[in-house]
Amino acid sequence: MKKKTLSRLLVYLCLILGLLLILLPLYITVCTAFKRTSDSLRNYLSLPTDLYIDNFKYIVTKPDYWQAFGNTVLITAVVCLGDALLMPMLGYAVGRRMEESKGWFRFYFYLLLGIFIPFQVKMVPIVQMMSALRMLNPFGLSVLCIGSTTCEATFLYTGYLKGIPRELENAASIDGASTWTAYKSIIYPLMRPIIATSVIKDGLWTWNDFTLPLITLNRSPKYWTLVLYQYNFQTEAGVDYGLVFACLCLSMIPILVFYLCLQKQIISGLTAGAVKG
Amino acid sequence: MAIPGTFLYSFFFIVPVCLGVYYSFTDWNGVKRTNNFVGFANYVKALTSKRFLNSIVFNLKYTFFYVILLVILATIIAMLLNNKIKGITTFRAFYFLPAVFSGVTISLIFNQVYFRVIPSFAKTLGITSLEQSLLSSKSTAMWAIMFVNLWCALPMQSILILAGLQTVPEDLLEAARIDGANRVQIFHYVTFPHLIPTLSVVLVLAVKAGLMIFDLIKVLTDGGPNNATRSVSMLIYADAFENKRYAIAMAEAIMIGIVIAAISYIQLRISNKSKTD
Repeated sequence: MKKKTLSRLLVYLCLILGLLLILLPLYITVCTAFKRTSDSLRNYLSLPTDLYIDNFKYIVTKPDYWQAFGNTVLITAVVCLGDALLMPMLGYAVGRRMEESKGWFRFYFYLLLGIFIPFQVKMVPIVQMMSALRMLNPFGLSVLCIGSTTCEATFLYTGYLKGIPRELENAASIDGASTWTAYKSIIYPLMRPIIATSVIKDGLWTWNDFTLPLITLNRSPKYWTLVLYQYNFQTEAGVDYGLVFACLCLSMIPILVFYLCLQKQIISGLTAGAVKG
Repeated sequence: MAIPGTFLYSFFFIVPVCLGVYYSFTDWNGVKRTNNFVGFANYVKALTSKRFLNSIVFNLKYTFFYVILLVILATIIAMLLNNKIKGITTFRAFYFLPAVFSGVTISLIFNQVYFRVIPSFAKTLGITSLEQSLLSSKSTAMWAIMFVNLWCALPMQSILILAGLQTVPEDLLEAARIDGANRVQIFHYVTFPHLIPTLSVVLVLAVKAGLMIFDLIKVLTDGGPNNATRSVSMLIYADAFENKRYAIAMAEAIMIGIVIAAISYIQLRISNKSKTD
């Protein structure tokens, strides 16, 4: 019995050690953001003595910051919409027809081809194409992102549709419903859980993405997303790292709130995406 | 119904790849109007240049250590989180937290930590070797990047392995315990065989991530010091967008792309196999 308590104690000890490793950088971020630079220089780990909020004030009063915030919200919203409206249609069409026709089955493989193509291969031509189309702006990026989510979305949606019996649509079509009506009023509502998973995953990915905005939007501050803003802010703030930390702090708040509200869905969404790569 | 999704996917995913393959066989520099067909010259040039080979060596070295550390640490964390003790759900929630933040935000935090916080402590403690940023020394930069990378990636992989651990039948573990097996034996003979499918997925994902690493390096060191941490992705980015060696960048991208595609294919085979077993 004594051995069991000892091993349990050891487990707790390890877990707490890991927890410290996770929380320490976040703690430093929050503390430094609320301190004057001269204060944090003396000791990074001490709690701020008074609530010094000028760092935050400086960032919040900058129009650039809100521009970036707006861009990020816009891009993420468009991607989520595309993922929730266009991709289920595609998944449904392919998922149902590929069981009967060989051509559609090949088409399904065509859609999954993207899984094999790493980002680096398309990174360079994409910039060329987007610039030729004059789409190097937030809207262009969001369209690009929807295109990039196709493989995983198709994979998730067609997989899920296998579990929805065909009899439902057959019954509907006997009752005189068109394919579209059957899809809209029967299949789509049933697909909601998987759509939520996919939207959460892609929304979070879009919000946090760095590489695509870097290559398409880094030309002008008015196109920056929040991640790009943070990245470029480092140079602007210079030695005033209270500001840098405040900026990072601000950008973490929306995600933190999101995580606290939808923890379960986020974990399942991200792990569902991870297995497919 | 399949048309909008297919269009977006084809146009923003497949077309760039085809364009990229085409450009890799030309001498285009990204600006010129005309280009000539040069066959495999770009591939030969890339393969015989020291820069590309150095990047590959860096990537291989990085991936090797990254994969080993990731798989071992993630398994340990997953096993810790699999204990049925008080407060374990809270621990799980906190342990997943790093996965939701943008890698760039985390990198920027660690950038400051390496640059200011650690040296400031080193000064007070009198450790001269740490007074300089770990990122600015050739010998430590790779490990500093890897630490950040593990910090970001471990939560997700641990949760995946945790899910795998929970598929181990409880009665098998019980039977082993009754037969007098110790913890190491239980892990070796009961848990590990059940974990192999999950571990192989995690392993392949880690290999891919290691070979494709870009964001963190771009933010933390930008390939420096003295190109010591220039991964292949960084080299492609630099060649295409900074050095105007457009066609060579594409050739490099396609070569690494083929490797990644092969790995993805193996991954798909493994996960299909584990499903049918």
